[in-house]
Amino acid sequence: MKNLRLTKRELKQNVTAYSFIIVSIVTLLVLVYYPMISTVRYSLNRIGIVGYGEEYIGLENYKMLFSQSTFVRAISNTLILSIMGLLTIPVGFLFAVLINSIGNSKLQGFFRVGYYLPNIITGVSVYLIFRVVLMSDGGLLNNFLSLFVGRKVIIGWLADPKFARWGVTIVWVWMNAGYSMLINLSSLQAIPLDIYDAASIDGANALNKLILITIPNMKSCFSFLFITGMINGLARFTDIFIITGNDAYGGAGGTLQTILMYIFQFSFESPNYGVSSAGSMILFVFVLLLTMVNVKLTGFLKDEV
Amino acid sequence: MKNKKKALYLTTIILFIMFLLIVLPLLWAVSLSFDRSAISSLPSFSLIPHKPSLFNYQAAAKMINLPRYFLNTIIVTTVNTCIAVLFALMCGFAFAKLKFIGKRFWYVFMLAVMMVPFESRLVPLFLQYRNWRLLNSWIPLMLGQFAYVYGTFFARSYISSIPDSLAESVYIDGGSEWRVFLSIIIPLSLPVVSTLAILQIISNWNAYLWPLVVISDYDKQMISVGVALFNSNEYATYYGPRLAVAVLSAIPLIAVYLVLQKHIVASVAVSGIKQ
Repeated sequence: MKNLRLTKRELKQNVTAYSFIIVSIVTLLVLVYYPMISTVRYSLNRIGIVGYGEEYIGLENYKMLFSQSTFVRAISNTLILSIMGLLTIPVGFLFAVLINSIGNSKLQGFFRVGYYLPNIITGVSVYLIFRVVLMSDGGLLNNFLSLFVGRKVIIGWLADPKFARWGVTIVWVWMNAGYSMLINLSSLQAIPLDIYDAASIDGANALNKLILITIPNMKSCFSFLFITGMINGLARFTDIFIITGNDAYGGAGGTLQTILMYIFQFSFESPNYGVSSAGSMILFVFVLLLTMVNVKLTGFLKDEV
Repeated sequence: MKNKKKALYLTTIILFIMFLLIVLPLLWAVSLSFDRSAISSLPSFSLIPHKPSLFNYQAAAKMINLPRYFLNTIIVTTVNTCIAVLFALMCGFAFAKLKFIGKRFWYVFMLAVMMVPFESRLVPLFLQYRNWRLLNSWIPLMLGQFAYVYGTFFARSYISSIPDSLAESVYIDGGSEWRVFLSIIIPLSLPVVSTLAILQIISNWNAYLWPLVVISDYDKQMISVGVALFNSNEYATYYGPRLAVAVLSAIPLIAVYLVLQKHIVASVAVSGIKQ
């Protein structure tokens, strides 16, 4: 047992070290770990509107959720919208390939900065602007399409249940393609150039090189963007909430209501904390699974301390 | 060789056209915001206002207290960024350079938080702050910043690469770890500081869900929520003023971006890959 006792110096060393991390640790305990345990507990209880008076009801909240067609629809909406949102990957890849191909120059710097611009614009401004861009009558997109079709196009990009998912996806891709481009571009530029030179000598053309060298070398970049894109998509809330006018129902016949909007509705509009906590747990499990895949792919926690 | 040059020109032109298409909605919005004829119906498309005027901005100034929201957001963003970056550096330093019992445990304890989406603890966190009677203040927006997990991870890997020999002179003079941290580590970590600060400023400026939930007084609200609430109320049928508000609230971050463009692009690219 003697070697477990600390010398005075070691004790001092430990106290100093802990003085650097103790505030953050307490913060995480109080604001992350404890609330997370509360979420689990609430999800198994019936909770009064005031947030007190718990009554254990087992998995009733979960059963109740899955018996609601609106919740099941929110899950499927969220998955569909997340997958549609993955369009940012090919779009960003296309931008990156084009920007990369003009060579390292001032012009490349300009495009890099310019294409990333939409991502830096305050979200709420973007949503306000796109509410007008996507208007059925007189909106920019419909005007633009009318030019091509040759007759007046009237599509309710945000109101028509058939098109609303495309409407919000357009906004999502417009905002996030620049980010995807940046990640794609730095991945592209990390591919050793001599592979391409060797391929040129073997007589490969540009398309061969793209398919046989570039794309296989981008696998980890694509999977990173895929996983993080799905994680962001699952917790999607702000853009749809604002663009449909601060409405947790999401408008467009409910085709836009995501899981988080559903949770919001049952937390703050018609509070039923037990049900909304059960919804939160389901969201948590989805994100957890994806994050674990991400950790496996990127070797995040392998990093030795 | 000639073909190569042609391809280069062609690609550049394509990139330019796509760039114009991307920024077209923004240019249109700016034009509408200065257009007196954009009231309850939209005028036909034009990048030059049909009836140029500042009316929409004057109307917006009466409908929404933007300066107040700006001020609130600037205060909270500044405080939050300073807290988050400082504590990320402190933790990063401890995990990179110091020896202590339970180091591995606490490191995993922190990183595991990344797997818990903020949204999944929204309800209990809200109730917790309500029990503490701290709702409708900025405190719930700020307390969480005392642990910046992603920043800790990022700072740790950067600080690890700072050679130990630099700190030795301080230790020899009898200086403490805090002395090393303040006089050696912080000055050498400025690149990390600026990257993390940029990421924090962007995310604080755009914060929406949490301020919406915890703050009920309009006077205390952040810019994103304030503008979205304005958008959803009855005045919002007037396009011109609404777009004037959209343009105004986009200006601060765009201004920062224009000044720090290369740096921001680099920060985002690096943070994305490491994430």
